[in-house]
Amino acid sequence: MAAFVLTARHRRTIFVSLVLLFIAQSAITYTTATSVKNERAMYNEAASRGAQLYRDLNCTACHQLYGLGGYMGPDLTNTMGTPGKGPAYAKAFILHGTQRMPALGVTPEQADDIVAFLQAVDATGTHPIRHIDLTPWGTYRSMHDDAR
Amino acid sequence: MTMPGEHDPVRPAAGRLFLVSGLAALWCGALFGVVGSWQHVLPGVVDAVPFVKSRPLHVSLVVAWIFMGAVGGVYHYLPWITGRPLYSQRMAWWHLVIFLGTGLLVIVSYLMGRFGGREYWEFPPVLGIPIALGWILLVYNFFRTVQKRSGPWPAYLWMWAVGIVFFLLTFTEAHLYLFPGFSGNAVRDLTVQWKAYGALTGSWNMLVYGTSMVVMERMGGDRSVALSRTAFLLFALGFTNLLFGWAHHIYPVPAAPWLRILAYFVSMTEWIILARMIRQWRGTLNAGMEQRHSLTHLFLFASEVWVFLNLFLALLISIPAINLFTHGTHITVAHAMGSTIGINTTILFASVFHIGGAALTRPARTGFWIFNGSLLVFWLCLIGAGLVKGWLTVTTDMVFQSIMEEARPFITGFAISGMGLFIGLTLLAVHAGKALLGGGTGQVENH
Repeated sequence: MAAFVLTARHRRTIFVSLVLLFIAQSAITYTTATSVKNERAMYNEAASRGAQLYRDLNCTACHQLYGLGGYMGPDLTNTMGTPGKGPAYAKAFILHGTQRMPALGVTPEQADDIVAFLQAVDATGTHPIRHIDLTPWGTYRSMHDDAR
Repeated sequence: MTMPGEHDPVRPAAGRLFLVSGLAALWCGALFGVVGSWQHVLPGVVDAVPFVKSRPLHVSLVVAWIFMGAVGGVYHYLPWITGRPLYSQRMAWWHLVIFLGTGLLVIVSYLMGRFGGREYWEFPPVLGIPIALGWILLVYNFFRTVQKRSGPWPAYLWMWAVGIVFFLLTFTEAHLYLFPGFSGNAVRDLTVQWKAYGALTGSWNMLVYGTSMVVMERMGGDRSVALSRTAFLLFALGFTNLLFGWAHHIYPVPAAPWLRILAYFVSMTEWIILARMIRQWRGTLNAGMEQRHSLTHLFLFASEVWVFLNLFLALLISIPAINLFTHGTHITVAHAMGSTIGINTTILFASVFHIGGAALTRPARTGFWIFNGSLLVFWLCLIGAGLVKGWLTVTTDMVFQSIMEEARPFITGFAISGMGLFIGLTLLAVHAGKALLGGGTGQVENH
């Protein structure tokens, strides 16, 4: 087989180029590609505290947001906006637990913060998407012009 | 006096102890995996270690095994590859001490209920500092060792270099959420998180696939393969996917659509690898039959089978229309388990058995078949559970608990086969540990 020879200079150039490419695409991802137009989707102070509590209590071990997380409990992306659920419903679960879910041992104020966080998540979009409008390319329409 | 990289029974090299520690982490991680799987079937079955603790213990310990298995191989093989000793054995030792010390702190923090609450790295973020510092020692040691190597770099050195550098970058990136600008809304928070994780798994895959290439070269003795255009094409495909393929993890997250379309396009380039595997399948099968008496070959052959199965699954679930049904289901877990156990662990076992010079004994052969047979059932059960969950979630209004009740037979099968997997892993880990600590000469098999 033919040898594919790279000199030390080539190696350096390739490495630097790859790292620059990585930085460039990261910068776009951190800014314009992930901005939200809905003001309610931005974390306010309570939602930020709620996000921190969500991490401290390791809620991701059992719950998902947009399908990302553990599978012991349900996805929480739209818990706040689903008819029949909402803030009071979520707060009751957080404070008292269920047969499967332990009571988290948080104060009512902390439960409010977690609810504020889940409300901000709910305002970002819908998951799972049930209105399936497939394209011939293996994508679906709302992927191109989603709720965002 | 020992040759570079050769086993010194009096003062074992850091690389070997990385591997032995990695095997211990794998065993413990698998044990917590068994506990976690049964907690799905029988809630409250092990109250002492609830699921919120058993899951991170399982994930972190298995990820630690992959890193220690790969890094131990890098430290061990580098002297052979470069023809000179490691730049600094002392630095490698410090890396090991820091990694193990931090690992113990991570376990203690989980048991005490102190979490960082992020996927993969569920430990408090402050413990990421020593992990990164230890990794910097590896970066320095690696590049100082390979710096004076004459001649072109084989593809596996490129893979290792990229894997080592990008782990540090993406590990750092995974902690950007600590700064408010990177987590001001859930879309950015999740996207930055999974951008880092997608590239991070790509970086450890680079380390593991590079190891696989080294083992194959040492078994076959043909140095031209790792310098061939094909080897570099595979490296380039892997690296492009590492950089741009991560967004296939987050199709449902409403980030900019172009991110997801780009990831879809990049992910589909891996059909090239699948097509190549199919084209070479008969040759691979024949080679596997011929070399079935070597433990290392047996594992390399098994890894080819798992790469094929998982790549096919990964390609299917990277198609957005299919992903709509599979995302957030056990099919994603099947993909993760197939990759970390079927591919990574199988390759790392091949490397460990090669380094230890382990013979194909009856317990090892039994372990091999129990491990692979159980893993296949385990993998299929997860796919079955995922199909049920995905279909019912998207097409019906059933509540979560009712959906999980429908998937229960598959979940039970997954927990039972998980126990088989644990038994197989135990047999193999004990055999590998004995070979590494017992002063295996590495001469049982061809070099």
